[in-house]
Amino acid sequence: MSDASAILAASDVRFAYRAGVEVLRGVHLAAAKGKFICLLGPNGSGKTTFLKLLLGVLSPASGRIELEAKPLEQYSARALAKKLAYVPQTPTSALNFPVRELVLMGRYAHTGAMGLPSETDLQVARLAMEMTESTDVADRTLEELSGGQAQCAMIARALAQQPGVCLLDEPTSHLDIRNQLKIYRMMRRLARDWGMAVVCVSHDINLAARFADELMLMKRGAVIAAGGPAEVIQKNLLRETYDVEIELIPTSDGPPIVRAH
Amino acid sequence: MATATAVVGLACSLWGRVGVPLDEGVFASQIWQLRVVRLAAAALVGAGLAGAGLALQGLLRNPLAEPYILGLSSGAGVGVLLGPSMGATLHLAAWATTPALAMLGALVTAAVVYGIARRRGRLDPYVLLLAGVIVNVFNGAMIMTLLQFTRQEEIFWFVSWGMGRIPEWLWHRPMLLGLCGGMILVGWIALFLRSTAMNMLSLGDDVASTSGVSVQRLRVETFVLVALMTSAAVALAGPIGFVGLIVPHVCRLLLGPDHRRLTIVAGFGGAMFLMLADTLCRLMGAWFQLGEIPVGVITALAGGPFFIVLLRRRAREGLG
Repeated sequence: MSDASAILAASDVRFAYRAGVEVLRGVHLAAAKGKFICLLGPNGSGKTTFLKLLLGVLSPASGRIELEAKPLEQYSARALAKKLAYVPQTPTSALNFPVRELVLMGRYAHTGAMGLPSETDLQVARLAMEMTESTDVADRTLEELSGGQAQCAMIARALAQQPGVCLLDEPTSHLDIRNQLKIYRMMRRLARDWGMAVVCVSHDINLAARFADELMLMKRGAVIAAGGPAEVIQKNLLRETYDVEIELIPTSDGPPIVRAH
Repeated sequence: MATATAVVGLACSLWGRVGVPLDEGVFASQIWQLRVVRLAAAALVGAGLAGAGLALQGLLRNPLAEPYILGLSSGAGVGVLLGPSMGATLHLAAWATTPALAMLGALVTAAVVYGIARRRGRLDPYVLLLAGVIVNVFNGAMIMTLLQFTRQEEIFWFVSWGMGRIPEWLWHRPMLLGLCGGMILVGWIALFLRSTAMNMLSLGDDVASTSGVSVQRLRVETFVLVALMTSAAVALAGPIGFVGLIVPHVCRLLLGPDHRRLTIVAGFGGAMFLMLADTLCRLMGAWFQLGEIPVGVITALAGGPFFIVLLRRRAREGLG
């Protein structure tokens, strides 16, 4: 992973919510265009905190986060939104907006505070809904949708920002296996076909290993391992990270299946 | 919407114990002119309170937020009562000091309530309401204390003002009416310009800020605008409660969650609501020979139960 090709790069990032209790202890990341990266690790390992730093919602105590070689804090909210988008864990609020309106909200940074959506805005929103297979539910409100459809609509909203980087926080945590597959395929397509850098916090090692280009294992605010699935999906690394016995079951067409004991 | 408001206003102006000569010179009659000024004040106050309530509910993502409940109205009230004494010492005209001090009181209260309820960047909805209750009690005590130092002949005016009523004497205070009206209209327009950002805020702070909204700035701006509108309303008519709760809720039920539409409709809705409520007070007072019932009493009688229903429903759904 060389920093030069990275659109989003973090180097030696440290962070503490309270003085003396470091949540992140020198984390590195280089997310290149066209790559799908999954952040893995046990609860409390600092994955979500790290994601919030990458979003610019929190600021690092030390270390640097750069987007297109420019420090994150130098971006205005609007300028940042044109380059980076975020999909939260569960769509908990704004349940009463129709999907079409929700997706158009993704155009805020492009349209301006009061501006009516232009032809381009509508076109981009339409494409985002097609990509996420949300077109059929465009007139329904989030409240009326299943968990899978709602998550697709939230991803469509993020895509409408036309970002170079898309960050997702456990996007499949409440979904059935069919929808989990759908979302992971979608994230891979966003990287491969749309050329985005996709960074996803995940709890599903097997899906992550199968679909992501790179994995990053975190524990107690530090990176245990980072690299391609073949390098990271290893017994000793996973045991060290999760403190459980690990069995790797080989498969014919991809990385081995991880089973915890 | 504007037309409907005008029609309601006109109807209310023609309705009263003393009939207006319909055949000729309606608009020239003194009674009609008095009523129109009073209705204009009611419309402004109603629009201001409904707009402020809507903005607070959107900003705090709490359907129970309202200027009266959160203590902003009583904070502005302390400012208004400080007005006469301060104005005398500073040699400023009353029409300017009253709204300015009300604004100061509302802003300080907003900052205190916000500060109490804020935990790690999040606002606990229950703590927010409790903070409002406590600050209301504190402001009430301040008002009582101020009344102790008030001259006997002014006490009646203060007490009657404290119940929340649209005064008749605004006819003689065009500067006050103009300034407060201006404050409310400016606040309303500024809130409308922020209504798209307010929609984004309903997606959560993190999504809003990564979608291009400066959340912190929006918060501060909205609190200032809410304080501006509330203090203007309180300076005109005293603390009138629950308009900012009832009107936005009914609008949201009818129109959905889009703040662009809601800001406009809630403003006009608040104007119509308070014009009708005030006319009702005027008529009831006349029918029962009670003198005039303060409009604040009516809105509180209607709003109290409304608040309880909302609170119970929200408790059932589980506070997020």
